[in-house]
Amino acid sequence: MNCKNARKIIVLELYGEAGAPDKARLDGHLRGCASCAAEKAEMGRLFTLLDEHEPEDAPAADWEKAWRSIQTGIAGKSGARRRSPASRLSPASVPAPRPFFVPRWRRAFAGTALVLVLVAGIVIGRFGFGPAPHPAGSGPLATLAPSGRPAASSAALPTAPAPNGIHPAFAAHLEDLKPILLDYAHYVPGEKAEGRVVVDEAVLRTLMLQNVLLKRKLAEKDPAAADLLEDLDLILKEIVNRGPKDTNSPAAIRDLIEKRDVLFKMEILKKT
Amino acid sequence: MEEQAYIKLAREGDPAAFRELFDGHRAQVYGLAYRYLRNRTDAEDVLQETFIKAYHGLARYNPEKGLNFSAWLNRICINASIDVLRRAKARDAGPFGPEEAATMPATSHASDPERTARSAEIREKIDQALARLTPRQRMIFTLRHYQEFTTREIAEALKSSEGSVKTHLFRSVALMRKHLRKYVQEDGYEL
Repeated sequence: MNCKNARKIIVLELYGEAGAPDKARLDGHLRGCASCAAEKAEMGRLFTLLDEHEPEDAPAADWEKAWRSIQTGIAGKSGARRRSPASRLSPASVPAPRPFFVPRWRRAFAGTALVLVLVAGIVIGRFGFGPAPHPAGSGPLATLAPSGRPAASSAALPTAPAPNGIHPAFAAHLEDLKPILLDYAHYVPGEKAEGRVVVDEAVLRTLMLQNVLLKRKLAEKDPAAADLLEDLDLILKEIVNRGPKDTNSPAAIRDLIEKRDVLFKMEILKKT
Repeated sequence: MEEQAYIKLAREGDPAAFRELFDGHRAQVYGLAYRYLRNRTDAEDVLQETFIKAYHGLARYNPEKGLNFSAWLNRICINASIDVLRRAKARDAGPFGPEEAATMPATSHASDPERTARSAEIREKIDQALARLTPRQRMIFTLRHYQEFTTREIAEALKSSEGSVKTHLFRSVALMRKHLRKYVQEDGYEL
């Protein structure tokens, strides 16, 4: 055993982690090496010094305050972020906690309700009020029909404005997207997949295509709509690109929807 | 009720079960963070961050991988603590603020002012020596020396190899010795 190895074994021995063979070899080395023997003695004094001046235990913490902060952190979108010193001093500046947990049955119920609303919307839209807003095969959810891929052409979009001034294809597009966006907007980290809306990737891609066509169509005529479509474009790309096991994306998509006020803009445009 | 049952319930969204887990492990997490950071405010922040991360990660926690819940929490706490120290170092802030200076623990030699002052001086030097270690060295030294983790347990907690942990440990012990040489070599340091 050389001195370098001996000094490592000395540390391990002081921590009680040196095996019997290492100890035996160290003892043999120390008998013939005064330098390492002195090293061992000095290490022993270091450990004694550290042990005799061990830091005191942690001062008492305010567990209830910590628990409240954890609840807020879990429920709020900024949960994992460090609070600023200012926010610690001012309880009023801490955002009001959102509901801590959403029961599983409620999430499942909400998901089922969203799917039913989506299906009901399609059925009513197609069969309840005369001609469909989109020519056959060109609507955003056309992949649900057996006719195959939609006609990817801006010429297929209806041009007559709705009574409220909003483009009918744009209005239909927003209606199609709304359940999906609502599902992400209400996403709670850790929730199980069964309570969530599942949209076929082909449908999502069709919605993306529809979004692009509308954006082109409305870019000059309706800048506010084009702006919203730009946001929707980003969100749809995020949704399409997320992997099946990607657990971070739903929160990122939710944040994107919130940050860009997408649902609010949709409501405003529909009422304009 | 057993801990695994609480974990299962907490995963399903039961706040009372998660509170049980918090109550059962808060002292351990806070103590570890404080021992490393030596700052109550930072330790409380790490405590909160650890449990928030644990809540979000409960779905991924798998005891069958050989890591019990306590060790899993320690791992989260350790990483959060290292992050706090790195941020503090990046801000160029001293590791121990005025709060700690003011509450520096009194020694048991209150009747001997000279001894008390000497003990406080050594503690301060130990704190300074710890502060001169890198965040990783400091964490490994703290876990081994004060928390009495084995090098294997530290390696598991840091997702590192045992060899790497030992290398960091040897370096940190050597640095502590170097920074405290004056007190180690003095024959009469004992109080």
